[in-house]
Amino acid sequence: MAKAFGEVLLEFAREDPRICGVSCDCWGFLIPLHNEFPERAIEIGIAEQNLIGIAAGLAVRGKTPFAIGMNPFVTMRCFEQIRTDLGYGCRNVKVIGGYGSGVMYAGWGCTHHAMEEIGLMRLIPTMTVVMPADGFETEHAIRAAAATEGPFYIALAGGLLPIDTPEGERTFRLGEASVLREGDDVTVMGTGAATIEALRAGELLAERGIAARVLSMHTVKPIDREAVLAAARTRLIVTIEEHTVIGGLGSAVAEVLAEVGAGTPLRRLGLQDVFACMVGGYEDLKRRFGITAEAIVEAVMGSA
Amino acid sequence: MMASNDDLTAALQEYARRIRVNVVRIAGMSDCHTGGSLSIADLLAALYFHILKVDPQNPSWDGRDYFILSKGHCVPALSSALAMRGFFSEDELVRHLELDSLVSGHACARVTPGIDVSTGSLGHGLSISVGTALGVRMDGAANRVFVLLGDGELQEGSNWEAAMAAAHHRLDNLIAIVDRNMYQTGPTEQMMALEPLAEKWMAFGWSVRVIDGHDMPQIVEVLEAVPFEPGKPSAIVAQTVKGQGVSLSRHHHMDRFNAEQMQAALAELGEAEG
Repeated sequence: MAKAFGEVLLEFAREDPRICGVSCDCWGFLIPLHNEFPERAIEIGIAEQNLIGIAAGLAVRGKTPFAIGMNPFVTMRCFEQIRTDLGYGCRNVKVIGGYGSGVMYAGWGCTHHAMEEIGLMRLIPTMTVVMPADGFETEHAIRAAAATEGPFYIALAGGLLPIDTPEGERTFRLGEASVLREGDDVTVMGTGAATIEALRAGELLAERGIAARVLSMHTVKPIDREAVLAAARTRLIVTIEEHTVIGGLGSAVAEVLAEVGAGTPLRRLGLQDVFACMVGGYEDLKRRFGITAEAIVEAVMGSA
Repeated sequence: MMASNDDLTAALQEYARRIRVNVVRIAGMSDCHTGGSLSIADLLAALYFHILKVDPQNPSWDGRDYFILSKGHCVPALSSALAMRGFFSEDELVRHLELDSLVSGHACARVTPGIDVSTGSLGHGLSISVGTALGVRMDGAANRVFVLLGDGELQEGSNWEAAMAAAHHRLDNLIAIVDRNMYQTGPTEQMMALEPLAEKWMAFGWSVRVIDGHDMPQIVEVLEAVPFEPGKPSAIVAQTVKGQGVSLSRHHHMDRFNAEQMQAALAELGEAEG
């Protein structure tokens, strides 16, 4: 993923001289940029607060920095710098969670779970929050971030979970949910790495005669209200995310539903206000905490 | 030459006095972080009326020197310097904290012309100044970046992350000035000691000078001498007195003067009645 991100960043950096990269011990992401534009790739060591401050300062000078750290640390350790120096400061900085979105680090411990990243970033006025599902969405998210003024948070899903959908059929528009599967019975919404589970659930539900609309909610903020309102016309909405259900995608969807008075039932899959503390692999953790296609199917069948 | 230096000193001292007068007037209108504003008045006078390349008609001029007030609560002194330098009307100063005025309680780039970076949460300014200095260097430009820090503020760990990075990246276009007034809400050395402070900056790879932050010739000499060493960021530890020039504010973090106190403070600053 680092290489893929690095190549994409370099491509945009060639087009836009303002683009530069700042790494918080994530140098692998910047090697392609450094090879061609050494002065535009900066390593600052393991220091998230300083990462964001330096990125803000580069933006003061008119640059468009991509500031890269590990998801849990680059959203929590320097939350106030992101909120104050980038949000309040109106800085054109793109914060990239480069490693460890959601619960990808699984049994390596809860220190490394980014189960608050959406909620924290969503809280900040003017911040755009994008959780790409795969490499395709990641590339487009970076392009959108480079082309749009203002602070962004993008969580790289790691590219470990390629969504098996023909390239030609995929689209990406910032702020618009991507329809990965059509269906009118129920709607399943995923974001980030959990999107693959939503897609898989679509297939499992089809086998049971249920037509599920599957959406990649890559842009969690601003949330695609139209997509949520359309989903409210199906009989059930299930959201799935590698995130605490408080403050993440499920919350964002609930806000829209409640405001319009939609009575559509909503099931939010994710961490149910718990730390996912266990030793085991990524798939083990997802099974234990109900962040799987099977859990989606269960939620849909149980609601009938 | 001597005469012109004396003239410069006298002129800058007068600007510093007027900054203090404005701070006192602000403290007569509303709560005001007087102590730390008064301690930086001489430094700001030298910066804004002799050292910094700025254009009040075009605050975002590409060629400007950047100034970041990391101790953002002392913006009354900065607002005064900016108004006196012509970024906006001095009449605005006494509208401190009023609805939609240009003079906020912590440095705000959105409301005050001439302020590049919003501050108020301590420990942010040095990192931002490091980034700005890196950006200037990317452009191959000659702008300098000055950042003014409080001493108590240095207890925030982010400063030392930034200090490390500035030296590592050899940012000799960056100048950090520490307003060493020895007080936060109480005496700094009792609350969390910083000494040996100059040695700390040196150990982090900076070129360091210690000056009397109220001695104008010393201030001018040291600010004209930056960078002290090529390839190194410069740190100036300015020994100051919190509340300098106004006895009522000595070692005070915040004041709100009544009419009588304000007149006493203005009189002490040699300002005529009114």
